[in-house]
Formats: sequence, C-alpha cells, structure tokens
Amino acid sequence: MSKIMTVDVLSSIKGAQESETVNKLFEVIKKANTTNNNSFNSNQNNAVSLDDLREDIVIDSSSVEKEIIIENFPKEKNGFLVVSKVIEE
Amino acid sequence: MSQIKKIHTQLINKEISCTDLVQEKLNLLKENTHNTVNLLLETLALELAAKVDAKIANGEQIGLLEGIPFGIKDVYMVQGTYTTASSELLKNYKSSYTATAIQKLLDAGAIPLVKENCDSFGHGSSSENTIFGAVKNAINPELVGGGSSGGSAVNVAKDYTVFSIGGDTGGSIRQPAGYNNVYGLKPTYGRISRFGLMAYASSTDCVGPIAKSIEDIRIVLNVMSGKDVKDQTTYPSETISSEVILNTDDIKTVGYFKNFIENDAIDAQVKSDFLASLEKIKAKGIQVTALDFFESDTLVSTYYTLAMAETASNLSRLDGTNYGNRIEGDNLKDTYSITRSQNFSEETKRRIVGGNQVLSQGFSDEIYLKGLNLRDQIAANFEKDFNEVDIILSPVTPNTPPKIGDSLKDPLAMYLSDAYTVGFSLGQLPTLTIPKGTTTGLQITAAKTHDELVLKFANFLKDMI
Repeated sequence: MSKIMTVDVLSSIKGAQESETVNKLFEVIKKANTTNNNSFNSNQNNAVSLDDLREDIVIDSSSVEKEIIIENFPKEKNGFLVVSKVIEE
Repeated sequence: MSQIKKIHTQLINKEISCTDLVQEKLNLLKENTHNTVNLLLETLALELAAKVDAKIANGEQIGLLEGIPFGIKDVYMVQGTYTTASSELLKNYKSSYTATAIQKLLDAGAIPLVKENCDSFGHGSSSENTIFGAVKNAINPELVGGGSSGGSAVNVAKDYTVFSIGGDTGGSIRQPAGYNNVYGLKPTYGRISRFGLMAYASSTDCVGPIAKSIEDIRIVLNVMSGKDVKDQTTYPSETISSEVILNTDDIKTVGYFKNFIENDAIDAQVKSDFLASLEKIKAKGIQVTALDFFESDTLVSTYYTLAMAETASNLSRLDGTNYGNRIEGDNLKDTYSITRSQNFSEETKRRIVGGNQVLSQGFSDEIYLKGLNLRDQIAANFEKDFNEVDIILSPVTPNTPPKIGDSLKDPLAMYLSDAYTVGFSLGQLPTLTIPKGTTTGLQITAAKTHDELVLKFANFLKDMI
C-alpha cells in the first residue's frame, strides 16, 4: 500500500498521536548494536510440533457458555442474535 | 510457614469452619480501603464453602487446596463473572468460560473470593491505570501498590486472600510482590497455560502465584502447571516436591549483573543491601560471580518495543463489535475510532499507538525487527550465563515504590523502573521475588524450565538473610 497512514488511522483511535516518551525508547533501539544473524526468534522457539497438533474437531459450547454469550449480545431479531455492522465500504 | 497447610489442618480438625473463614475474608475485602477489589464473588464463594463444610461434617477427606480462599487478577476469565481488565471498554463484559489455570484451582477445591484491581490490560507498573481507583500499598497507603498485579499483591500482604493469581508480562507479579513484601513467582514461559488470560504481550505473558510462603507458591504452582491443548506454547512439567526444594546442596554458584548495581539509577540503600546479601551468600561457601549484561535502557526499550507491538495486535479486537462498549459515530470507521479513543486509557492508547508505529512500513526493520534481534542476543546471553552459574540474583527494582500520582506524571520513569524485571521476561526464565535482602526484595532466576531451582535457592536465602 503506497498510501501513508497516520497512527490514529492505523490504531483506530481518534486523535491519537505519537508519544515523545515512547519515541525515546525507540531511539535506544535504533542506536543499539545488532548481530548480522537474521534467524529471528532462534532462542524463543515456542512453536508446536506437527506431531502434537490438537485434533481438528468442532467442540460444541456448553449451554451455560451459550447463555452468557447471548447475554453479551442482548439484541435479538426473529430468533437470531443481532450483532453490530462490521462492513460498510 | 505455609498458610495453606495451616488452614487445611484447622479445617480438618474442625477448629474453624470454611464458611466462617470465607465470610471473614469477604468482610475484610469489603471494608478494605486499598482499592484492591473490582468484584466480590460472594455468592459463589459462600456456596462453595458450605459444600466443603458439609464434606468435613460427613467425615469425607478434603484435598489440600479445598476450602482455601484465593484472589484472581481481573484479567482472567471466570465463567459468569465480569472480567473488566480494569478498563472502561470491558466494564460490562461477562466471561463465558473459565481460564485453564483458574479451572485447575477450582477443580482442586480452592474458593475464589475476588476479581482484583490491576493496571488496565496489564499496562502499567503502579496499578494506577485503572477505572477502580489507584491500588494503595499494603505497607504505606500513600505509595503505589505496584503493578500491574497490584490488587493481588496487596490482598495477599494484608491477609485478605491466602494466595492470589497474578499475571506477569514484564514484571507485573514480581514488582508488586516486592513493593508489598510478599512472594511472587513468574514461572518459565509455557509452564502454565495462558488460555483464558486476557492477552497483553503473548510472547512473555505468564500466569503465576503470589503468596506469603515458598511452600504456598510451590503448592499453587504444581496445581496450575501442565500442558494444555488450548495453549500450544505449554510444555509438560514434573510436580515439584517439598522435599526436593529443601535440599539446596546442588547450588554452588550465583551470578549477578554488575551493571544493575554499578549505575546511578539504583537507590543507595537498595545497592548496599544487595551487596550485603551477596556477602552473606559468599560466607556460606557459595561462589559469587559478577556477570556482564545489557544496559538497562536497552532492556527496557527492547521489552517495550516488542510488548507494544504485541498489545497493538492483541487489542485490535476490542472495537465495540465483539467486545466492549460501542459508541456510534458518523460511519463505521468513525464508530471504531470513537469507541477506542473514549474507552481506552491514556497509557493503553500510548502503547497501542507505539505498537502500530513499530509495526508499520518503514519502521519495522529499523525498530521492531531490531528489537527481535536484541531479544535473541539477550536470550543467548542468558544461555551462556547459565553455563557458568546455577542462579542469577538481582534486586527487584532500582528504587522504593513511588507516591501515588507520580508514575502517571512521568511514564518514562515508570518504564525505566522495570529495568531489572523485563530482561528475565524476554528470556522467558523462571524468576521469583522473595521479600528479603532489599526493601523491595530480591529476584531469584534460574535457567528455563528449572523452576524448582528457584524455589530451592529461595529456601536457602529465607533463613540466611
């Protein structure tokens, strides 16, 4: 995307601006020495092994869980939950 | 002395009833002026207590945690309770399921009393970034309770709960534990399932106990640990026995980071107390080694860069559609941005914006990817250190707790106050705060998955310092 997006748009926060305090932290990173090693996260390997993947099955929610979900979305129309509009353009 | 074992004995000897115990703690929580409570789970707690009393009356055996009252930081899902993360956005959000770690405690019979105040979404080191009022320190209420698990640490310190479950991303269990003189453990990343913990920075988020004794930390850690298919970063771990952690013979060498101690930012008293602790350890025949480490500002900047990037992603779902109080605007984009700008705190917005900055084109190579590279170097440094030493000892904080109000005025000072805790988070290492050695305690760290070594050394230190 060639269009430059400002931080308020990127963050979906009206009027959001960069923070001077946070920029000071970023300056430290810019000046820090890094190694030429491009294998990021080599020491933080938390990925699950292929042999250990959980089963690909649908687990039905309990009736209590369903009731609480409905409570969080109280609007109803013709027996269906009404959720907010999420697509406009 | 284990509070859990003491109460367990009193319950089975019928010296106290579980209902009376739970009612007493609920009353203390209700009357307390430290702002530790977001929600009391009164009905549930009393129902569960009555069941425990009935079992004891019937002559049935009860488990060690059965009937033990505990607190839960308000970032954990507990089915049917409000889980607010101390935020305006989620103040009416009700959890539809229960976090794995909490469910394991419930299955063991522990009784949840309270959802505890904390910094909103874990964003803070003082528990002032909350809609429920700043948490006041247990020892001096003019000072902050620490954060982000401030309410949990204060509740334990004041005996309002027997133990509490906090969450630690960059020091949020260890620092409030230090500020309130109690024990707080951040286990190895992945030892306890994060399922049902509201995500802040997923690559360092850890579940952990806060309690008044090493034995209680051990008991609660054992119950919560283990592999969980719902969090695929978890690993299987063995139960740590009380006998194993009493034998401290295999700890021969202790390291400390020179640059943590030899700098201007550390309080003079904290420094001299820390050095005095090292001398006492040496006097017991343990070899003490000075180690080189990254500068504090590099550690803090690396941690915050990565944590902000992760929280910007994790919190992007909070837009008033699936979660949160929606505020309608002129169009859909407007609705999202008004909802988020009015419902997130200043500190949370600062972190989301910072995270989106470093993830955006043009910045990610220069800052985010460099941050990841630094993290790898930090982790490699730890690996090298643990070839030389069994334990790394450090102060928990460079300074004593600030006054309420000061951290909100100076966020940079707040970030820098995390200098001693964030490195171990980036390394995903097990680290325990013990309320000994300096006025805000000492941190004991071991190599990944060696949580039992941390508890062993704590047992050694507690009687010696």
